[in-house]
Amino acid sequence: MQSVKSIEEFIKLSKRITTDRDLQIPTIVISAGTCGQASGANDLIRVAKRELLYKSLTERIHIRITGCHGFCEIEPSVLIEPRGTIYPKIGINEMVRIIEAVDQGRVAEDLLYTEPLTGQKIEKLADLPFYKGQTRTILSQNEKIDPIRIYNYIENNGYLALVKVLQKSDPKWIIEEIKASGLRGRGGAGFPAGLKWEFLANQRDDGVKYLVCNADEGDPGAYMDRSVLEGNPHSIIEGMLIGAIATGATKGIIYVRNEYPLAIKHLIIALRQARELGVLGDNILGSGFSFGIELVRGAGAFVCGEETALIRSIEGKMGEPRQRPPFPVQKGINGKPTAINNVESWANIPVIIRDTASGYSKIGTKGNTGTKIFSLVGKIKNTGLVEVPLGIKISEVVYDIGGGSVGDAKIKAVQTGGPSGGCIPASMFDLSIDFDSLTKAGSIMGSGGMIVMDENTCMVDVAKYFMNFLKDESCGKCFTCRKGTQRMYEILDDITKGKAGLEDLDLLEELALVVKDTTMCGLGHGASNPVLSTLRYFRNEYIRHIEDKRCDAYVCKDLVGAPCQSACPVGTEPWRYVAHLARGEYEEAYRVIRETNPFPSICARVCDHNCENRCKLGTTGSKPVAVRALKRFIADRVDPSSYRPVRQTIPENESKKVAIVGSGPAGLTTAHYLSLKGYKVTIFEADREPGGMMLAGIPEYRLPRNVLRKEIECLLDDNITVKCGTTLGKDFTVDDLFKDGFNAVFLALGAHHSKSMGIEGENSKGIHPSINFLREFNFKGKNLAKGHVGIIGGGNSAVDAARVALRQSDVESVTIFYRRSRKEMPAFQMEIDAALEEGVNLQTLVSPTGIIVENGRLSKVEFIRNELGKPDASGRRSFKEIPGSEFSAPLDTLIVAIGEQMYPYALDGTSGIETYKGGAIVIDESNLSTKREGVFAGGDVVTGPNSVINAIATGKKAAHIIDCYLNGKPMIIPAESRLPEVYVEPVAVPPEDQGITERIEPPALSPEDRKSTFAEVELCYSEEDARCEARRCLRCDLEFTQPEVEEEEFVEIGENKS
Amino acid sequence: MNPVDIDGDSEKPAKKSDSLIAILENIQAKFGYLPEDTLREVAAETGRSLVDIYGVATFYRAFSLKPRGRHLVSACLGTACHVRGGPVIAKEIGNQLGIKPGQTTSDKEFTFETVNCLGACALGPVAVVDGHYFPNMSTSIVKQVLEKSKLGFEAIEVETDQRVFPVEVSCSRCNHSLMDPGHLIDGHPSIRITISFGSVHGWLALSSLYGSYNVSSEYEIPPDTIVNFFCPHCHAELLGASRCGECGAPMVPMIVRGGGIVQICSRRGCKGHMLDLDGENV
Repeated sequence: MQSVKSIEEFIKLSKRITTDRDLQIPTIVISAGTCGQASGANDLIRVAKRELLYKSLTERIHIRITGCHGFCEIEPSVLIEPRGTIYPKIGINEMVRIIEAVDQGRVAEDLLYTEPLTGQKIEKLADLPFYKGQTRTILSQNEKIDPIRIYNYIENNGYLALVKVLQKSDPKWIIEEIKASGLRGRGGAGFPAGLKWEFLANQRDDGVKYLVCNADEGDPGAYMDRSVLEGNPHSIIEGMLIGAIATGATKGIIYVRNEYPLAIKHLIIALRQARELGVLGDNILGSGFSFGIELVRGAGAFVCGEETALIRSIEGKMGEPRQRPPFPVQKGINGKPTAINNVESWANIPVIIRDTASGYSKIGTKGNTGTKIFSLVGKIKNTGLVEVPLGIKISEVVYDIGGGSVGDAKIKAVQTGGPSGGCIPASMFDLSIDFDSLTKAGSIMGSGGMIVMDENTCMVDVAKYFMNFLKDESCGKCFTCRKGTQRMYEILDDITKGKAGLEDLDLLEELALVVKDTTMCGLGHGASNPVLSTLRYFRNEYIRHIEDKRCDAYVCKDLVGAPCQSACPVGTEPWRYVAHLARGEYEEAYRVIRETNPFPSICARVCDHNCENRCKLGTTGSKPVAVRALKRFIADRVDPSSYRPVRQTIPENESKKVAIVGSGPAGLTTAHYLSLKGYKVTIFEADREPGGMMLAGIPEYRLPRNVLRKEIECLLDDNITVKCGTTLGKDFTVDDLFKDGFNAVFLALGAHHSKSMGIEGENSKGIHPSINFLREFNFKGKNLAKGHVGIIGGGNSAVDAARVALRQSDVESVTIFYRRSRKEMPAFQMEIDAALEEGVNLQTLVSPTGIIVENGRLSKVEFIRNELGKPDASGRRSFKEIPGSEFSAPLDTLIVAIGEQMYPYALDGTSGIETYKGGAIVIDESNLSTKREGVFAGGDVVTGPNSVINAIATGKKAAHIIDCYLNGKPMIIPAESRLPEVYVEPVAVPPEDQGITERIEPPALSPEDRKSTFAEVELCYSEEDARCEARRCLRCDLEFTQPEVEEEEFVEIGENKS
Repeated sequence: MNPVDIDGDSEKPAKKSDSLIAILENIQAKFGYLPEDTLREVAAETGRSLVDIYGVATFYRAFSLKPRGRHLVSACLGTACHVRGGPVIAKEIGNQLGIKPGQTTSDKEFTFETVNCLGACALGPVAVVDGHYFPNMSTSIVKQVLEKSKLGFEAIEVETDQRVFPVEVSCSRCNHSLMDPGHLIDGHPSIRITISFGSVHGWLALSSLYGSYNVSSEYEIPPDTIVNFFCPHCHAELLGASRCGECGAPMVPMIVRGGGIVQICSRRGCKGHMLDLDGENV
């Protein structure tokens, strides 16, 4: 490379490069930072070059390899300039097609980005929601620059800021300009950069002064510095040169962490090219000004990001911080004055000089000017680097740019500032992102990591994670930091293992404050933030771990045990019966199921299987074990008589009578378990046979009636009397029950009354509440649906009604109308899928506004369209009506399924039992007791429409509580974590099956075959399939049951030091 | 200080004035760990106490006092990876290898470690094996990745791999073709060049496949030797203006038929190369 000897010569070169280029030539820009390369960008580059070469297109299409474009989620991506077309997630074959399209001057439509919410295709990078809300002052350069070509940087105004200050030759002006820009250090603390420079400039000049670029980006979860180093290394060199002129510094050092090989490579190349060109080194551009920059690699110690520790490390010593003052600007490297700035701060310098301080400070808010890059990662849809003006709201970053959560789990917090930062709860997402607001909220800006956490993230575990990190990275100089982080970690560890008491929280808090107050460097000061902020905003999670021994995020292994077991409301051990099934021990498997659940056959068909939702196979990239289908295989195959429940003979119980109102799953379960304890139970059922909502609501194609009846029959015994056709509030009252000598009453009458919409004309002919519609069919076989059928609602009863309607003879079409989007529908997802497969239509984001009646009969329903708003504090997205979007749909039948509640006439004012306005009975959740002594309630009548398995769980709880009550014992259920206890030897997997990881779906009737019949849709596995599927189980239980397995603590950070 | 050797002059011996970290980094690079007797030598040569050296060697994570395996497997446990299931991946790697983080398998094949953050947070959970990043890891592919690492990730199927393709090159001075149809490498005509190093002169044949590093030569070239390249036709030295991004050695330019310039690193064993199609080359 020819070196440039003067400023004039450089300006000429710059002009020549800029005018020589032809901006109209299509250029394929391939993003190949670490993320891009990891996702396959290198392959794309090769294939693109091959195509251009072989098709002789090298003159017509150019190619540019750049650093990261920020939207890591869509890597490997290809950008086409000058059009601005972006192609996400491109493979080798797509690359070939893109080149074809570029050559022909068109866009490959099908490869464009699809907006997940609307399904719309978006062509241009600038129009993607991810980029729209950003102000990409620094990062936008990454698209334009090939980082290993200095001319490419010059082509984009590179080194012109350097030229400007060289020409001006006024160091004071530079410092004033930086001060006026309001730039605050981007490393985390936010110290004004101009002030720091002024301090350095004012140090007595004794020859040597250092400028350091701190590129030891050690915060886990932050990588914006890496992106700038990789994508635009010259901007840092230029920034440091300007800094050197301003402060009189004589030596520059870039301290970069060893974990960034690509950044190191690009920096080395950039430094070499800058020296060869003459913009770095001796007599820069003939101006007489000399400045050299050296690269120093860190050796992997988090604390070296702290400036005094970093200085020690540069000196070749252990990176222990030291007391300040003297500050590094007074005594730094080798005792010489040293100013240290972060990568992002340096990258901002050329921008400020080029755009002037007043131009720069227009971005952001007062006291927090400019942009800041955040790495938006964790449980977020659009992960990547986000550059936004300071002062923007967290919600804008998380929801507008980040696109919200990935799956169905709600976002609950963001963690900012790395290990010294804190967690900010979703309810505070209106907070402005600036140095001061974040500190006030108990977190810090830090280097800019923003880690999104959702319901599957345990906040106690997060605090423990950071404390583990900090205890390892504490250099040990301050006793309180060394020992304090250790002790805090131990307490947090105890909490996650269920070994701590509530008093430990006070100890933790006290310890945290001591560490904060009595340590020397930033690591110690900030070490308490993860604990204090989670205690402040998520104390309930700590308490839940301590008191209930539950980790609701299913993270803390010693409380969760096997997730399938922990997730089951009745505590079934799926791992255990699946293990028996795999071994061919079917009766043993049945006994395991039946021990905890009186309704194996019913749950094998209609359970919403929390076990599968939490299955570790499913949460680690594969599909969960088909637990419910396996249960079905067992329940279909084994005779219930192989399990004989033990009925105890307890003389004092035999004289006591319990009344149960309602014979749904809750009532029957309670009756069964009370009977086993010797009580005499009478069930009062309003319908003509027992079963409750299982009979009245669940359609036969999901739950055949013979299966239901057989299972109920098995439960009824001499101690249980069922009185059908007796309705509470009509045939008897609660008072009557006590008068008749019952010692306790359990209200489990369910929610059999559909709520109304409150729209005029709702009682017209052709409009039915969903429960009435289902009951009329299930009990009497009446086909109420005719012609075009509409269903209002999104819950299970809406979907059931839709699928039943579809099977009725005079029906032409069935459409479900729901006010939010599909993702928000409360019905089971697989039921929605099944309905759509069968031909049910779904219209989302619509609300009914009016009913048009003609000739006394429904003719049309008027609707208005909605749009989704931001998630509320609970994380559920609100909706609002779009004015002017009204439309009407001609309908012959309308089924209203917007929620169910208890019959309004069941309880009158004199019962002494309190109810909520919506009809639900008020209870004390810990013991199910109502406001009236001796009366308990549970199931749908308390919770509203809920799952069968939850009703069974309540029934079991009720039996225990009522037993305590009748024996005068305290009515409590002791909290304990349910860990696997029984060892079942794993079955040897035959070699031919070892690679099998795909879930085997149970057989089912095809949508064509099933939509006109009420025959059961889901069928039973063959024996071979069942055993094969059972072998997929990861056997999470073995960690707890296998005798020789020692306590495994090894998935811990920091043990990799030798 | 431990400045990185920017110009690739790696022959430079460690000087007394070099910082301890730089010396240790060189030793670590050479042996893969810090052997005790070497540390004793360092102590003797630099006049530092062994305690000091031990202090620095154990303070920084990059140094290891135990020998490492042929393959290095790192599981990232940074915050983003942690919340996306990094610990589960780390555990699976440990299970597959039968070792804990920080350990090496008894056959010295694998060393397994966990790292705090690799800065590839958007791809979490991430694992890195021998410098190759594996994004969005799942437990089910751990075994596959480990097995593939034994074969080497660079291994390519020359016949089937679309990413590998032949290029025809000519001398950047006289424009005479350098292709040698009489000498096939990877089933394609090779690129024939005259080379010299030390006092040796001879021919070198390179694979013409872009993406293959196969060569054969008249004399065996010791690893890391910087070689001078000459056109066998005009005898001019093939010398470009730029240096290798990987190692800093001079690059050797050749003209690509169809447009552009390819440059390869002149150091034996270095895979540094650049293919510039528009010829707008630095």
